[in-house]
Amino acid sequence: MPFDQAFALSSVLLATIAFSGLVLAQSVPLWLALPTAIILIVSLLHAGGVLFVRQALAKVSVSSTLWNFLLIGAFVVFLIDLTVISRDLLPAGIRFLVMLLCIKLLTLQQRRDYRHLYAISLMAILASGALTTDAWYVPIFLLYLLATVWTLLLYHLTQETAETPAVVIPTSKSARHTTFPSRVTHRFLWLTNGTAILTVALTVAIFFLIPRIGAGVLQKTSGEALRTTGFSDRVDLGTIGSVKQDPQIVMRVELPDQPVVEKDRLYLRGLAYDQYNGRSWSHSGTRRRSLSLVAEGTFLARPAGSRPPGSLSMPIRQDILLETLDTSVLFAAPFAELVNGEFLTIQADAMSGLHLPFLPSSRIRYSVTSQIPQLVADERTASVLAYSDSIRSHYLQVPMGSQQVADLAHRVTQQATTPFGQTLAIQQHLLENYRYSLEADTSTLSHPLEEFLFTRKTGYCEHYATAMVVMLRTIGIPARLVTGFLATEWNEYGGYFTVRQRDAHAWVEVYFPRSGWITMDPTPTASAAAATSRWDSLSRLGESFQLQWDRLFVRYSAKDQLAAVHGVREGGDALRERVSRWVSSLSTSISQVLNRLTHMTRAFQPGMLGLITGVVVVGLALLLLNLRDRIGLWATAHLPTSHPQLAIVQLYSRMLHTVEKHGVSKPSAATPNEFARLVEQEWKAAGPMVADVTALYHQGRFSRTPLTSDELSRAAKQVGRLQSLTHKAR
Amino acid sequence: MSSAHTIRAIQDNIALVIKGKSHVIEMTVVCLLARGHLLLEDVPGVGKTTLAHSLARSLDCSFKRIQFTSDLLPSDIVGISMFNRQKQGFEFIPGPIFANIVLADEINRTTPKTQSSLLEAMSEAQISVDNQTHPLEQPFMVIATQNPAEYHGTFPLPESQLDRFLMRLCIGYPTLEEERKVLDRPHSLHPAETLEAVMSAHELLALQTRVDQVHMEESLTDYLLAIVQATRQSELLSLGVSTRGALALSKAAKALAVVRGRDYCLPDDIKELAPIVLSHRVMLNRTHGMRTQSFEQAERMVLDIVETVPVPV
Repeated sequence: MPFDQAFALSSVLLATIAFSGLVLAQSVPLWLALPTAIILIVSLLHAGGVLFVRQALAKVSVSSTLWNFLLIGAFVVFLIDLTVISRDLLPAGIRFLVMLLCIKLLTLQQRRDYRHLYAISLMAILASGALTTDAWYVPIFLLYLLATVWTLLLYHLTQETAETPAVVIPTSKSARHTTFPSRVTHRFLWLTNGTAILTVALTVAIFFLIPRIGAGVLQKTSGEALRTTGFSDRVDLGTIGSVKQDPQIVMRVELPDQPVVEKDRLYLRGLAYDQYNGRSWSHSGTRRRSLSLVAEGTFLARPAGSRPPGSLSMPIRQDILLETLDTSVLFAAPFAELVNGEFLTIQADAMSGLHLPFLPSSRIRYSVTSQIPQLVADERTASVLAYSDSIRSHYLQVPMGSQQVADLAHRVTQQATTPFGQTLAIQQHLLENYRYSLEADTSTLSHPLEEFLFTRKTGYCEHYATAMVVMLRTIGIPARLVTGFLATEWNEYGGYFTVRQRDAHAWVEVYFPRSGWITMDPTPTASAAAATSRWDSLSRLGESFQLQWDRLFVRYSAKDQLAAVHGVREGGDALRERVSRWVSSLSTSISQVLNRLTHMTRAFQPGMLGLITGVVVVGLALLLLNLRDRIGLWATAHLPTSHPQLAIVQLYSRMLHTVEKHGVSKPSAATPNEFARLVEQEWKAAGPMVADVTALYHQGRFSRTPLTSDELSRAAKQVGRLQSLTHKAR
Repeated sequence: MSSAHTIRAIQDNIALVIKGKSHVIEMTVVCLLARGHLLLEDVPGVGKTTLAHSLARSLDCSFKRIQFTSDLLPSDIVGISMFNRQKQGFEFIPGPIFANIVLADEINRTTPKTQSSLLEAMSEAQISVDNQTHPLEQPFMVIATQNPAEYHGTFPLPESQLDRFLMRLCIGYPTLEEERKVLDRPHSLHPAETLEAVMSAHELLALQTRVDQVHMEESLTDYLLAIVQATRQSELLSLGVSTRGALALSKAAKALAVVRGRDYCLPDDIKELAPIVLSHRVMLNRTHGMRTQSFEQAERMVLDIVETVPVPV
């Protein structure tokens, strides 16, 4: 492909990549994205040399005045957008940017227009970077970088070709072929892509090494919070069903201390409800208390001084990354003991629900240590349990007209003798006799519970749980409804639970005076169809990569840097210790040798010592002198020795460069001899070297016999000497 | 004797007579080796004739001198067909042009007709008289002199004919020291008469063949052509250098390389020769206030132009 065409194509490609970044960041409205996409496609076709597009566009000619008016119009729209419509700089600016992009694409003619296009693309890719934390930004950015390197290289190449005067003085036939290809070759692609990849590598290094500040200037603030249900003060029966199909990720839960085998399901408790009015659940107490701080960022979830329930499981630590939700509830496995996170304060309600004091504006990360209460053995068998008054008053409430439900509960539990047995019987009854179905939309019915229990006999978690709570209460066992998430999707690549909207769940907590609130779930688990196809595993892999991206790049903080530095330093300390041990063992043997030597020198007369020292000094000096000449030899390492003519030209240019650094530059009309005389006058020390290189250059460049490799290395040595002379001069 | 020695010897030989003009002498030898003709333009009495004379003496060649006057006829130069009574036919009596080195003294004093007869001989290396062509001896070199200061009764050579000369040289006054040396010499004999020949015609022809074999690198050819192009495009000149001029520069550069003991050209060869090879081939632009064609002006113009052409690296 010729340079001109490649240049136009890569320029438009650059703009396309930047624009797709904006589109993927969901910051361009459809009415703007569609025409822009069309313009980009047409421009790509045009730059790619598709003939009919070129012909069609050649016919359309629009005066520059119109474009100027359009530009002003776009600016006016931007101002209106900024002040009246969105009132936010970022979205309004992005819309303006896209409009500018369109106008520029349609008026690409001069080199100036291309430069503007690059500036717009740069701003677009920066804006999309500010707007997103997703991993797709990586490939887009890499593509953008590749395209940038291509484009800039091609920009300069085409410019140089255009600026070369009519009278060309080519250096030589071979040089003309090697240095001035007029088309995009494989070598060109290798070179550019290599540059881009190197840049990325450098950037990554800089990313991890340069200290950073925690605050960004442009942060995503206008992001949409995920809409959840079931975590407000009041939950209508049947509302969870609407989200049961939604695969949006709500949070990711890691279990760092947990063996793998237990990771099939995890209840993540949100809120509990105690009052049921026949159609919806609500809280009776709205009072919240602030959790007490036990350490920096760590809160004690239990009221201070309260006694934990009788028998507890092993503590489970969960590291939770919570997406931006429309609720301030913090989720955790029942029941949270310690909460750790960068919060100023956390509140707890009367039923152990955890709340942030305000709605979070971005995703949050916290970790919780929970202990699941176990049923104390004697309560399993006790036939009568004594409940306190407050428990009775709160958790035995049933809606009016629940006689039918109470009858059912009595019928189901007449075999059981203990409260625990009754509970199990009710759970068993619900599990066995009802069918799980998401189609049961009961939100419009006046008696959804009765409808579920006696008429339709199909429903989902909310119905099951409500039925169980009400049935338990009718036979005098305190119970409450809990909403939250049931995590079942274990991501084996990242080692965490992926919790989605469709994992929203409702279950039951039954009260036992000594054991506390025991989690029971009457909902059949068959609902969660565990279809593990290859695609699932692939998507889990992508999901895990997303989390790693988030952790390593988006959340990478000064703290992580410090940790990394600390690790490196510890490794370095160990290494240093080993080295110093080795050195000390070596130094003892050396000191022994030295001791013996001093003994010997004492035996000699001092003149002998001076002689030895002199010999050593002279030898060192000779070595250094030799090395100084060697310094120039590196120059030969990269010389194309198979083309001596090219090699001497390169050496000569290097010499010119060196001398120029010293302030003596070669006028273009001066011959090499004239220049050598000039150097002799201006910089006497360099005169001999320049004269010698000039003579060799003359011979190698203009005569028929090429230089031998000895002569080449002599020239290289002279250039090297010249370079070391410059260093000394400084 | 090696060629380098011979060339050195001939220069030293001339230097015995012409004091302190080593550059002029070198250029004269260059002109000789390049098979060119030389135009010496200077005020009277600075040694133009002596230079030509001593060059001829240094070579083991025949030498003729023609003093150009306004009444000189072409036949006085090329020769004449005369009727031979014994043979009953015309016989060609060769003129003074039949020599290896011909000194055409004060060439601008004669009529254009006579001038052109000489110039034909210079470019063709042969003369035609009465439908008979007589080849000239080789080597053949014309050294013409002319006096720029005196315009009264002269016929200046037109540009087309100046083009036939490979180079135009100006000798210039000697320095005080050199002039003293000239005066200290015994005057009994013409100084050039004392010179011994140091080079045979055969050796000269061999040297001239060597000049043709000198290597001029491609970029140097481009450099030379760039200079020629620049004279054609320059606003200072109304007439640039012809292709014959380019050829002459190339030949002279090769000859200079041989004189300096190389078998390849350098950019310096071209740059150094450009003023003396090109300056008599260009016409200054009259609009720039230069009414007369002066030697120094033209040389300076060419020098200026050469200084604008980048040398290949």
